[in-house]
Amino acid sequence: MSHLPAVGTWRQCPKCQRNVHRLEWGSLQICPHCGYYLRLTATQRLQQLATEFQPLPEITAAAPFAFPGYQAKLAQAQQQTGATEALTAGVATLQQQRFMLGVMDSHFMMGTLNMIVGARLRQVIAAAKTQQLPLVLVIASGGARMQEGILSLLQMNTVLAAYDDLNAAGNYTLNILTDPTMGGVSASFAFAADTVIAEAGATIGFAGKRVIQKTSREPLPPAFQSAASLYQQGQLDAVVARTDLAAVVGQLLRLHQRK
Amino acid sequence: MLEEQLKKIRSAERISSAAVITALTTDFFTLHGDRLQADDPAVTVGYGCFHQQTALFVGVNRGATLQQRLDYHFGALSPAGYRKVNRGLSQAEKFGWPVITLINMPGAAADVAAELNGQSQALAATISQMGRLTVPNIALFLGEGESGGALALANSNRILMLENSIYSVASPEAVQAILKGDEPQDLTKYLPMTAAQLAKLGLVDQIIAEDKQTMVRIDQALQQQLAELTTWSAVQLQQQRTEKYLTVLAKFA
Repeated sequence: MSHLPAVGTWRQCPKCQRNVHRLEWGSLQICPHCGYYLRLTATQRLQQLATEFQPLPEITAAAPFAFPGYQAKLAQAQQQTGATEALTAGVATLQQQRFMLGVMDSHFMMGTLNMIVGARLRQVIAAAKTQQLPLVLVIASGGARMQEGILSLLQMNTVLAAYDDLNAAGNYTLNILTDPTMGGVSASFAFAADTVIAEAGATIGFAGKRVIQKTSREPLPPAFQSAASLYQQGQLDAVVARTDLAAVVGQLLRLHQRK
Repeated sequence: MLEEQLKKIRSAERISSAAVITALTTDFFTLHGDRLQADDPAVTVGYGCFHQQTALFVGVNRGATLQQRLDYHFGALSPAGYRKVNRGLSQAEKFGWPVITLINMPGAAADVAAELNGQSQALAATISQMGRLTVPNIALFLGEGESGGALALANSNRILMLENSIYSVASPEAVQAILKGDEPQDLTKYLPMTAAQLAKLGLVDQIIAEDKQTMVRIDQALQQQLAELTTWSAVQLQQQRTEKYLTVLAKFA
């Protein structure tokens, strides 16, 4: 047996560069030295926001087009995350309250929106409607997935239509924007909820910073596209620390309980 | 070839929204501004008489000369532009006018101001309002349409395309960029984006040939499509819009 620690025991903090032990990162993946948040996986997010979780029947399908390199990327993402796609959805319980929960995972091809993610979103939205439950979406996405072309784009209007329909039915909707919330996801259902809150430190916007710099050659203002600056501009209801998120979700669900 | 198509639809000679509006309408009145912040010259929103009835036109302005292109921000709408569109849509709904959108635009605006002024929410609001309209809407692609901006203006009962137009998730250049290191290729091999390919998917309802008669063909196509749609109820129009897209997606499920 090697005397070296197992791979993954120590991980350097991307912000303060210190080496942090797995146990110190903890289940919320927060750097004990500088407070930096690592991005959570869908599994970690479920642990944070649900004491019970019953997944919906899992929608899968073959990739629609043979885009070069796509199959390999998908296989790699599946192997790395253990998930079949970038969205996990089901019925959750938190503080004795049941709700439909959808969690996007940035570790799966940056949580990009494609055929399956869109289908699962419509599924969880429809389930909230039929089961008369609130909907909570934890969003983490780079936008539309290029490799599925126009079909990815069409997820924006079809998911948004389902979301509008759920709002019209009177269900409470809560979106939690986490790092990153960009592109076609930001510009469709991300802001469609009754309550839109962001996890502290999240980057939220439409066009990416690099694209903006390359296209417009403008200097970017400080804290551009940060949750804190969007909050200041009045685009978010709250910016919440990761440690407080479960409590805030519980509070909002309680306030929106149907009589 | 995609490259030749792009050259055509990006050229200064390409048929413009303004040309279509001028040829097809009389008594045209143009809305100005979003009532909040600014007027976006990248999009003309107005109404005029089209075959004995008032219709709302939403036309993206790409510009022919360099000065026009700079003035129109190359056809990339700002949040104020989408909000002006929404204002027009509300009027069309109030007065029962059909909506015709004319699309030739690059991907969304990539600048600091657009982000600070709520580009994401402006786009989402237009997608949503187009989808729920109680009056008929028809999208006509005059050139290229990409990303959320084109989707917002094309979330409609009917999609018509001039034969050389393309409709894509992102500009071909942006899609090419994810093929890192690979030689430039004809992306239409991998992703459907031409009028013919999208008609095959059932997304595009009619392709309009490009020749000397193009304007006449546009006039006839819009008239024919509207004739059918105007007989539908508000609920039928809303349902058909939702089902149209879900039917396309269901082919791959």
